[in-house]
Amino acid sequence: MFEKVLIANRGEIALRVARACRELGIKSVAVYSTADAESAVVRFADEAVQIGPPAVARSYLHIPSLIGAAQKTGADAIHPGYGFLSEDPYFAEICTDEGITFIGPRPDVMEKVGDKATARDLMSKAGLPLLPGTVEPVNTVDEAHDISREIGYPVIIKAVAGGGGRGMSVVTREEDLANLYQSTRATAQAVFKDSAVYIERYLQTSRHTEIQLVCDSHGNGVYFGERDCSVQRRHQKLIEEAPSVHLTPETRREVGEAAVRGALSVGYTGAGTMEFLLDLEGNLFFMEMNARIQVEHPVSEAVTGVDLIQEQIRVAAGEKLSVTQEDVPLRGHAIECRINAEDPDRDFAPTAGRIDTYIPPGGPWTRVDSHCYPGWMVSPFYDSLIAKVIVWAPDRDRAIDRMVRALQEFEISGRGVKTTIPFHLQILDHPQFRSGDITTDFVEHFMSEQTAATAAG
Amino acid sequence: MTESKRTSANQELIRAVWDEARDLIKRLEGSTVQRFSVEAGDTKIEIERGMPAGVVASAIPAAAGAPAEDSAPAGADDRHPIKAPLVGTYYGAPSPGADPFVKAGDSVEVGQTVAIVEAMKLMNHVQADAAGTVAEIVTVDGQWVEFEQVLMYLEPAGED
Repeated sequence: MFEKVLIANRGEIALRVARACRELGIKSVAVYSTADAESAVVRFADEAVQIGPPAVARSYLHIPSLIGAAQKTGADAIHPGYGFLSEDPYFAEICTDEGITFIGPRPDVMEKVGDKATARDLMSKAGLPLLPGTVEPVNTVDEAHDISREIGYPVIIKAVAGGGGRGMSVVTREEDLANLYQSTRATAQAVFKDSAVYIERYLQTSRHTEIQLVCDSHGNGVYFGERDCSVQRRHQKLIEEAPSVHLTPETRREVGEAAVRGALSVGYTGAGTMEFLLDLEGNLFFMEMNARIQVEHPVSEAVTGVDLIQEQIRVAAGEKLSVTQEDVPLRGHAIECRINAEDPDRDFAPTAGRIDTYIPPGGPWTRVDSHCYPGWMVSPFYDSLIAKVIVWAPDRDRAIDRMVRALQEFEISGRGVKTTIPFHLQILDHPQFRSGDITTDFVEHFMSEQTAATAAG
Repeated sequence: MTESKRTSANQELIRAVWDEARDLIKRLEGSTVQRFSVEAGDTKIEIERGMPAGVVASAIPAAAGAPAEDSAPAGADDRHPIKAPLVGTYYGAPSPGADPFVKAGDSVEVGQTVAIVEAMKLMNHVQADAAGTVAEIVTVDGQWVEFEQVLMYLEPAGED
């Protein structure tokens, strides 16, 4: 096992990783920019190193400073958290070259699964269903026309190297195809330095379903059920839950096993997530793989009882997974709300400022992952996530009731600081959310309903 | 209809090129690259940068908290601190055995190299951001320094 782990991240996830290290008896090193000198993880970790100014390019993304801090403190591994350098094969490679274990998949594996076309090809071979479309990049307009006609409009053109909702165009009419094909390629080249695109059927309404897995370096892989993350606003997830109420136990097992098979077939190690679209008929289609721990991992922890960060660290140290598939029954229902420092009344504009009052919820089966405390300055330099509230209950209805109670209990205030708590409460109260029949366009519809109601009132 | 689609596609392309350029500007902070261009299709952005930000220590915003206890003594005098521009290993001379860049009592000009901070085999020159006389060097060769850790103090010019 590692002696000391450096956490190349900030905010709640840095604290989450430091907590896992402490429980495993591993020393932790926090790194921080000058804006984060007073952060919770700096207080909590065994050591802390100031690595740069607030701008991420010179702090949390500045590889020499991170490597230097690891060498200085004698850390034998680096946990990248999510975001920042967590899916950067180049960073993983440098860590390896410097004799520091990168807690994640090997750089070459990360590169393979990060390329959407390669990932689709590999996962389709492992038996994961794909949407009708191409596995290989589409290289000419003529080819694009033939393929689109074959799979039927609407189609979506996607950058092979794309992500975060960028480098994608939906084509509903054949006459728009040529233009959108060219512009998507050009955008892909500019943004991702790779003009390759592929085409697949576009599902108008679907649910976002993803499967959590962890693989060790001894050829073992376990899936930890799925999460439904259909409550999204502009590709940003707001509420995640586990399990999905739309998956039968048979489908869950089949797809879970195929996902593990697919991951093992590319030599994947560590925690990862396979993203799928679930259509209204209950069919899953593989979209992409995320080679990192995700923000919403706690809902899977809540229904499986497994600490995923600890498993991630364990397998990176070369140990075997501490659980087998049989040890991972799904129990009850869990929901997570991502509380952001944003103003829902001003188009979710981030609100920075000092938090004066901070009283997190407690009580049974209620977990809060947050780096905030009274006096903490919500910085304009970083993302606006300030807390994740996770609740568990024996069933979905009671989990919703518990989340409503927890959010009503949560007090965060400060000059200029607004949070998404009121917005979350409105969604939780919505009959459609209660029914569970949520597709990825739900928030959009919900918001236009709200606007209409305000106008009418 | 098609024309407006095309326009919005072009706008997206321009935005993408601009985003890429902006990203590059950020990544190049602290480097000595002065000119670069980004292009895709007919869209091209050329950027020419002045003195690279971050090379002169004064370009860095003040620290929110002291990185290490040995930074500045509380209630320090009016001596001017020269701070590490990044995390790395401190060297007071251009190469082992060579004369140091500066020693106590030397006078320095703005922009003069006073030390090196090495990070992953890249030698980053630390330049004086004020003129004065070296009063005290508080770092030793090979010492690992954090961002904004004080390396030495200058007695400001004109106050002798």
